[in-house]
Amino acid sequence: MRTLKHTVSAAALAAAIAMVPLAADAQTVLRLDEVPVGELDPAKATDFADTMLMFNAYDTLLLPAQGTGGLVPHLASDYSVDGNDFTFTLRDDVTFESGNPLTADDVVYSYDRLIALGQGFSHLFRDHVASVEAVDDNTVRFTLNAPYAPFLAALTRLQIVDSQTAMANELEGDYGERGDYAQAYLSANSAGTGAYTVTDHNPQELTLLARNDDYFIDIPEGAPDEVRLVYGLEGATVRTLMSRGEHDISSQWLAPEIVRALAERDDMHLFTESGTGGFYIKMNTQRAPLDDVHCRRALAHALDYDSVIALIQITDEVAQGVRANGPLPAGMLGANPDLPVPTRDMEAAQAELAQCAYDPADHTIEISWIAEVPLEERFALLMQVNFQELGFDTEVVRVPWALFTERVTQVDTTPHIGQVYVRATTPDPDALIYNMYHSDVAGTWQSTEWLNDPEVDALLEAGRSTIDQDERAQIYRDLGARLVELQPTIYAFDTQSVYVARDAVEAETLMGDGSNSYSLDGANFMFRHMNVQ
Amino acid sequence: MSSTFFKTIGIRLWTSALVLVGVSILIFCIARVIPGDPARIALGPNATQEQVELLRERLHLNESLPVQYFEFVRELFQGDLGVSLYTNRPVTTDIGDFLPATLELVVFAGILMVVIGIPLGVLAARYRDKLTDNVVRLLSLLGVVTPTFVWAVFLMLIFAFYLEILPVAGRLSQGVDPPPGVTGFYTIDALLAGQWSTFGNAFSHIILPATALALTGIGQTARLTRASVAETYDKPYVEMAQAYGFSDRRIASKYALRPAMIPSLTIMGLDFAAMLGGAFLVEAVFAWPGLARYGVETILHKDLNGIVGTVLVISAFFLIVNMLVDIAVAWLNPRIRLQKRWAG
Repeated sequence: MRTLKHTVSAAALAAAIAMVPLAADAQTVLRLDEVPVGELDPAKATDFADTMLMFNAYDTLLLPAQGTGGLVPHLASDYSVDGNDFTFTLRDDVTFESGNPLTADDVVYSYDRLIALGQGFSHLFRDHVASVEAVDDNTVRFTLNAPYAPFLAALTRLQIVDSQTAMANELEGDYGERGDYAQAYLSANSAGTGAYTVTDHNPQELTLLARNDDYFIDIPEGAPDEVRLVYGLEGATVRTLMSRGEHDISSQWLAPEIVRALAERDDMHLFTESGTGGFYIKMNTQRAPLDDVHCRRALAHALDYDSVIALIQITDEVAQGVRANGPLPAGMLGANPDLPVPTRDMEAAQAELAQCAYDPADHTIEISWIAEVPLEERFALLMQVNFQELGFDTEVVRVPWALFTERVTQVDTTPHIGQVYVRATTPDPDALIYNMYHSDVAGTWQSTEWLNDPEVDALLEAGRSTIDQDERAQIYRDLGARLVELQPTIYAFDTQSVYVARDAVEAETLMGDGSNSYSLDGANFMFRHMNVQ
Repeated sequence: MSSTFFKTIGIRLWTSALVLVGVSILIFCIARVIPGDPARIALGPNATQEQVELLRERLHLNESLPVQYFEFVRELFQGDLGVSLYTNRPVTTDIGDFLPATLELVVFAGILMVVIGIPLGVLAARYRDKLTDNVVRLLSLLGVVTPTFVWAVFLMLIFAFYLEILPVAGRLSQGVDPPPGVTGFYTIDALLAGQWSTFGNAFSHIILPATALALTGIGQTARLTRASVAETYDKPYVEMAQAYGFSDRRIASKYALRPAMIPSLTIMGLDFAAMLGGAFLVEAVFAWPGLARYGVETILHKDLNGIVGTVLVISAFFLIVNMLVDIAVAWLNPRIRLQKRWAG
């Protein structure tokens, strides 16, 4: 019994010791969260958390320009274009975290690896790049099959890997002399030139990053020394942690009511990120009655857009989206400011309905919402109320994402109405809307409209093959007007990601009027741009 | 221990192995009929059909089910459960990382279930139909009917949000290094390494999740124990002990509790084993990096290898706990213990 008492006393004492706050650490630590998993391999990374890791642990030849749009050299000091040849001169002051200098061979290895594994963003290059060669140690040349304007923007997704370190860690595998192409190693370790290096990584739990003081760009003094990126925190947990001062930036996936509650505190403020995508209410243009453009326009006029925005409003000034006027978000190349912002207009809706070949009483419109996104149920119910006013019978259907992606592969099983958030994967309009509207790619989660319009196809193809950016901008403006006329989609709002941050944290890329922001989701979480007190 | 005992253990191990094979076939098939293409889900929404096809081939997903199962078993015998499509790591690595965290949580919750649930049940039976009994029954019922995630949020709200006396997330505080790995249980490993501060930190982190996980089991155990002990109190041998003038404590612990534990133990064993799979919500709320959470995520991501690996581990845990319960019941019950063949 005495032993038991001693054990309990010791445990209590130890627990008491643990309660005492740790001595103030001289290092500044930034703590934030995202949904799992965090993919560390540059050839496999696609999601938001992955993007955050990529833009901190690795670098790319080009980066989106801050605020102004367009691209700027990053690992490249300069580049030239000659027909289908793109030649990049590399900076000579860049080293990997191993100490190895950056060479053209690293670029070739990174590209070959991406294509060989066939995952991640390999689809941005696979059909368009004929060859990549190291001209000399500091020069690399990409040769394209044909003119492809989105190529330069796609390079913001080609992270450069330290080829020597990777090759030294290749295990046996399916890729001939390259073995496993260092997949096991690069899934657990970083091998980049980034401003931060990964010191510990568990894809479901936590990634720890430490500042790389040898980075080729000066990192401001206030940037965090260490970053703790935690995966999979629940909303209630984030709220508790932030209230206790134990967490610095929330993810964008918090429920609006939690964001609102935290934003009301004196020691918190909001970060926003916008201009890269939208929330699209997609109509199946091959299924009656929505194969009639007048029925589609009737629904678009009937939707209560103010209520849609009210559902995503956080504070009086900030919402998780802003009213959209077309397929491209405001600020993106080719966004058409002349298009009218749609409003609820029941008279116009009735007028369109009168021209529709179908009697609404004869059709039940299936409105689906993605089970993993509860907010979409609210949008679905709002649509149900709005569309019933036109006489349509409606059915709201909850569809898990996995089932949704399967259903949309066939036109007959694609719901009349589907709701998806789509974000551009590169800072180029092609990355956002080609996969939505070109008839060749119908039948994916992005293209549930099943649109088949030769004029749209031609404009999308012209947007790819035209190199001059001003001409491209006009092509996408024309495309926007054509799509609004055809109304395959209701453009509900341009998305705006909202994060709660403690006042102790500032980020020039996520604050203010966007003049310091990158036009690519996740890139704004380059920790070197943050200031932690 | 007699040779019969070891022979029976051998038979149980053999039947357990057969059960595992059956489970593996079942879950292997079920995982493949969940809606959605695993390759498509793994590659993300922007992958092209060509990429998806490439991965499907690499994963043998275009082969027939028997061929796929044969490939799985062949690799299993090499100690390879395949690569998780969810984390892109070997499933064995994932299980090795996440299983100790859940086991530690479940063991702590199990200890709480036993050391609180059983005394409460005995107390209620001893004071049957009195105020103590009514209070215990009410609390037990509350424990049983309230979902675990509600307890988790409630405890977090009280002890982490308002009182701020216990940590809310993870296994250790920021800046505290894990102890040298021996068992994977941070509390025990810290004790083994003599790291008292780390032990205290790990202990303070496990209190809330373990309590939340245990509360349903505590209620269930208290109710079962009360019913069994109350029934035993009416037996002639207990009346005889009372007539001999034995103390209440001696009667409760020696004459009433021991036989009453036999039915309770079986249920407690099942409750304990079920915690391993059921810890998901607690792990989610308290950001506990465990296997239950991993298992649910693998299902949501249709990570075929991850699903099969996790289910096999949880099934094996169930079987081991069941076997231990059978042994414990046999030890408690002389009618079973003294039988030549105490189990079939």
